[in-house]
Amino acid sequence: MSKVIRSTTFALSFGYIAFGVVALVLFAAPLWYAWQVTVEDGRAEILRADTLRLTEVFNREGATGLKSFIDARVGMQLPGERILLLADSSLHRVAGNLPKWPSTVPAQPGIYTVPLELSGTPTESVVVRSALPGGYNLLVGRDVARFSPLTRHFWTGLAGAVVVLSIVGVLGGVLIRQAILARINSIRQTVLAIVQGDLSHRLPTRRTGDELDTLAHTINGMLDQIEQLVNGIRDVSNSIAHDLRTPLAELRSRLEELSLTRPTTEETFAEIDGAVADVDRVIRIFNALLRLAEIDTGMRRSGFVQVNANALAAEVVEFYLPAAEIKEVTLSFESTGPVSVSGDPTLLAQAVGNLIDNALKYVGERGAVKVTVGTRADGAVEISVNDDGPGIADSEKPKVTQRFYRGDVSRGTPGVGLGLSLVQAVAKLHGGTLELADNHPGLRARMIIEPGALLSGRARQVTAEPRPADIDAPKSPAEHVAL
Amino acid sequence: MKLLLVEDNERVTRFVVKGLQEAGHTVDNADNGREGMFLAASEPYDVIIMDRMLPGQIDGLQIVETLRKSGNRTPILILSALSDVDERIKGLRSGGDDYLTKPFAFGELLARLDALSRRSQGSGTQTVLEVGDLRIDLLSRKAIRGERSISLQPREFKLLEYLMRHAGQVVTRTMLLENVWDYHFDPQTNVVDVHISKLRQKIDADFERPLLRTVRNAGYMLTAEE
Repeated sequence: MSKVIRSTTFALSFGYIAFGVVALVLFAAPLWYAWQVTVEDGRAEILRADTLRLTEVFNREGATGLKSFIDARVGMQLPGERILLLADSSLHRVAGNLPKWPSTVPAQPGIYTVPLELSGTPTESVVVRSALPGGYNLLVGRDVARFSPLTRHFWTGLAGAVVVLSIVGVLGGVLIRQAILARINSIRQTVLAIVQGDLSHRLPTRRTGDELDTLAHTINGMLDQIEQLVNGIRDVSNSIAHDLRTPLAELRSRLEELSLTRPTTEETFAEIDGAVADVDRVIRIFNALLRLAEIDTGMRRSGFVQVNANALAAEVVEFYLPAAEIKEVTLSFESTGPVSVSGDPTLLAQAVGNLIDNALKYVGERGAVKVTVGTRADGAVEISVNDDGPGIADSEKPKVTQRFYRGDVSRGTPGVGLGLSLVQAVAKLHGGTLELADNHPGLRARMIIEPGALLSGRARQVTAEPRPADIDAPKSPAEHVAL
Repeated sequence: MKLLLVEDNERVTRFVVKGLQEAGHTVDNADNGREGMFLAASEPYDVIIMDRMLPGQIDGLQIVETLRKSGNRTPILILSALSDVDERIKGLRSGGDDYLTKPFAFGELLARLDALSRRSQGSGTQTVLEVGDLRIDLLSRKAIRGERSISLQPREFKLLEYLMRHAGQVVTRTMLLENVWDYHFDPQTNVVDVHISKLRQKIDADFERPLLRTVRNAGYMLTAEE
């Protein structure tokens, strides 16, 4: 029972009933008051007017005239319609429809409500007592007991309305409670299933678009996000386990071997250098992960400035140009002019760098990588890196941006498998996305981000405009120098 | 150089002090903020190496701020396990001159210390830099080796200028990335090495004595010495 009382729907329907009763009373009270006042006053008025008329008859025609007037009236009216009584100075009946002067009427003239016996039945009446010249007393009254059923009906009606209201309220409350409880229960069941570890459950939704439905949609959206994050964490944990364990295992065996075999000094130093390289690999993975975490938290948004995406991309292209030349890859840049974005220049440069680095890694000898910057029809800024390498199979596309995922092709190439994850995270941080499409042949990686404010003369320009002559011209391949 | 190391980790202290002494420097060290503050304020040092998180109520950044407020201009290199860009900015804003994230390679630390001490000597006003027979004019942006004029791209010129300003010192790849390109990220591949080899082609290829050398496990050095 206490559970029922505590439930929201109980409180809700109880509140409705209470509210309804109060409203009913508030509505009925003035009505009751108005009725009382009008009827009572009206009654007293009529009685007074009647008294006045009778007094006039008395004045005009004397006691005998009034007696016959009253007799005529009494004869005409319904019994009990009007109480009329004329008595002499010693209160003996002269005329009227009361057998004798009632003892309950006070001695002074005035309006009184007194108990009377009318044709043998006790009733209550309103009477006007007045004194006529010659010591005559006149009593004009009306039986009000006849109205008491009306009053009773009024109260019965009101009480009935309260009862009906309560029943409807309770019934409505119970029905609403059951309807809402059913839906809340289904939400609860789903959430319980999720709490127990099955993140694939979703709340049932209807197409009604009501509040509960909206709530269910919102919660489902949240669950999608959580599921994605949890899967991400799971994948990352597995990948970290793999990607960090490998260099750590190498490091451990190196050191243990040194400790066990105690080789010559020279060999020892070579092994130690190898160990340092292993540690550096671990540190690089850590740094990449920390950078990703930093981006994911969105903290970097506080440091956003207006960046000329065009100049920024041109610089990164220029930075990677010698690396392209060594591979005999043509790295070119194309743009439609300055494009402003609001963002973090370091992260944007790193993202563009990762895309170029990725393209250079997979494109074949004498291949081509083209970087373009432009504004799309919808106003979004697009930084695109296109290559004519092997591309990525459609089935692989969603996977390559997962943390630590490395396609079969990339196994054995340097890098920690976080490059595209970082690009995606950077694009997301800038309110955009990373799209991977076919370049027929090759890969077309497009970073689509929100535009910033228009570049004014004072706005930060990353540096000089690109110099297409420097960048586009395929250079004679530089001699490969071992470093 | 006379250096001060404020660092609470014993192992790191031992490793850094030993390495710096082997490189010919005198090193004082303090293992807590209070002592570090006292030494930094009372002794003249060429460079101070300051760990950010220290025991004893006063942390590295507070020491740096206090020193700067009291007018101490000694170059300070901040060491920290916090690698966020924001943390780095905070460190530099408090008055640090350079910021190195732990774990670090000793070569990186040494190279940065050299660069810092050189910076404090104020060599920024020269308009002509010379190393051996290589000469660059910062105003006309021209480079000449011996009798021959060398044509350089603007970025190559900036790279050479940085190397020449730090002639005789080791500069690391990260230092070049940060100072020549202003990139504070890992470019994944050895792009800096490729830029260096391109520059080497231009300034060293046709000459008997190479000026630009690779220092194993550390970086590069531009020097005219044998």
